[in-house]
Amino acid sequence: MSYSTFNRKHFDSTKEPMFFGENVNVARYDQQKHPIFEKLIEKQLSFFWRPEEVDLSTDRKDFQRLEEHEQHIFLSNLKYQTLLDSVQGRSPNVALLPIVSLPELETWIETWSFSETIHSRSYTHIIRNIVNDPTKIFDDIVTNEEITKRADSVSIYYDRLIEMVNLYNTMGMGTFEVPGKGPIEISMPKLKKALYLTIASVNVLEAIRFYVSFACSFAFAERTLMEGNAKIIKLIARDEALHLTGTQHMLNLMASGKDDPEMAIIAAECQDEVRQIFIEAAEQEKEWATYLFKDGSMIGLNAQILGQYVEYITNVRMQAVGLDTCFATKHNPIPWINAWLVSDNVQVAPQEAEISSYLVGQTDNSLDDSDFDDFDL
Amino acid sequence: MTSTSNPKVPEKKDQVHRVLLGKKQILVTEDEPLLVQLERAGIHVEYQCREGYCSSCSIKLLWGNVIYPFEPLAWVQSGYLLACCAIVKSDIEIAFFD
Ligand code: FES
Ligand SMILES: [Fe+2]
Ligand SMILES: [Fe+2]
Repeated sequence: MSYSTFNRKHFDSTKEPMFFGENVNVARYDQQKHPIFEKLIEKQLSFFWRPEEVDLSTDRKDFQRLEEHEQHIFLSNLKYQTLLDSVQGRSPNVALLPIVSLPELETWIETWSFSETIHSRSYTHIIRNIVNDPTKIFDDIVTNEEITKRADSVSIYYDRLIEMVNLYNTMGMGTFEVPGKGPIEISMPKLKKALYLTIASVNVLEAIRFYVSFACSFAFAERTLMEGNAKIIKLIARDEALHLTGTQHMLNLMASGKDDPEMAIIAAECQDEVRQIFIEAAEQEKEWATYLFKDGSMIGLNAQILGQYVEYITNVRMQAVGLDTCFATKHNPIPWINAWLVSDNVQVAPQEAEISSYLVGQTDNSLDDSDFDDFDL
Repeated sequence: MTSTSNPKVPEKKDQVHRVLLGKKQILVTEDEPLLVQLERAGIHVEYQCREGYCSSCSIKLLWGNVIYPFEPLAWVQSGYLLACCAIVKSDIEIAFFD
C-alpha cells in the first residue's frame, strides 16, 4: 500500500484506527474519534513560547565561575538534551505521519514535533550565550562516545519502524532481502509491533530521559546558578509533560483495544519487551549519571541521588502505562524538583499560611470500621 | 455518626470528607482539589502541572469517590486519581506507591 497525500477514498475517519488504517485526507477537526488529541493540540498551542524571550545574560558569568567538573556536567547535560530534541524534532513526523489515520492525531503529531524544534532552537540560544565557539559543543554530540551511545538507544525503534514502513509502502507485505540487513518480514502484526515498541521508547525518551536531564538543569538553579537556562528548561518541561501524556494515551488506547482490537493483542504480547525498554533505559540513564559526575559531584546532586531519581521516575512512568514497577525507590529523592517543574502561571499552595485546619491528627486510632459502613467499597 | 449518604442531609458545598492515608486521617472539603488540601496538611504529593495534564500527582484511590470538574488531559489509570484536580465526594482511602 503506498502513501497518498490526499487519499481519494470516501470513508468515515472516526471509524479508523489511530494508525495503519486509511491515509488521512481531509484535515477536519469538527468530529474526532479521540478528542484527547484535539485537546492536546489546543493546550500545546496555548503554550507557545520563544527562547529569545528568556534573558540569559547572567548565565554567561555564572558559567565562567563554575568549577571545571561542573562545566562538564552542565555541558554534557545540554548536549544530551540537544540530541534528544534533535531526534524528537523530526522523528514523530517521519515515522508516524505516513501511517497515521486520524486527522486530530495527525495534527497532534505535527504540533508536538514542531514544539520540539523550539526546544532545539533554545539550546542554540543557550550555547551561544555561554561559549564563544558553539561548533565545538555541537560537534561533540556526534563524536563523543558517551553521547552517541545515547543516540543509538533513542533512535533504534524509530529507525526500525521507518525502515519497515518504507518497505511496506513500496513492496507491500512479504519478506524482503535488504542489503546489509538480511531478510525483513513485513506483515501487519510486525508493523504494529514495531509501532507499539516505538511509542513506548518515545515515552521513555520524553518521560524518563528528559526528566533526568531536567534534574541536572534545575540542580544548578537550586544554587542560584544558570537561572536563565532553568527558565528555558521550565518551559521545555511544560511542553514535555504534555508530550508524555500524548504517548501515554496512545499506549493505553492501544493496550485497551478500544482503538484497534489487533493492537491490544500485540500490546499484550510485547509487554515484557516494553518492560525491558523501560528497565534498560533506566540502566543507561544511571550509567550516564556516572559519566556526568565522573570528575566530582555538585551540591545537591551526585550520581547516586540522580540514579535514585532515575529509578523513582521510571517506576512512576511504568505505572502510568499499566506496567508493574520494578525499582526499589518509591519516593522522589529530589522533591525540590517539583517547584522547578511547575509552570510559573500556577500558584503553588502556601505550605505555612492557611494553617492545617483540616488536619485532624497524624494518627487517629479512634477510627473504626463501622465509621465507614455507609460506603460501598 | 451522621451518614453522608443520608438523603435527608442536603448536599452542601462545605461538606467535609475523611481522607485516609496509611494511619493518617485528613479532613477535606469539596471546595478545592485534593492536592492543595493534602499539602496544607503537610503531606508531600508529587506534582508538575497542577492542572491535570502531566499525571505526576497520580495517587492510588483504594475506595471512595472523586469527581473532576474538568476532564483532565492526563490519562487516569483505573484505581488512581489525579490529586491536583480531583474533588473528593465521599470519605476515601488513598495510597502512594507500594
Ligand atoms: S500535577 Fe499534573 S496532572 Fe496533577
Ligand atoms: Fe522536547
Ligand atoms: Fe517532547
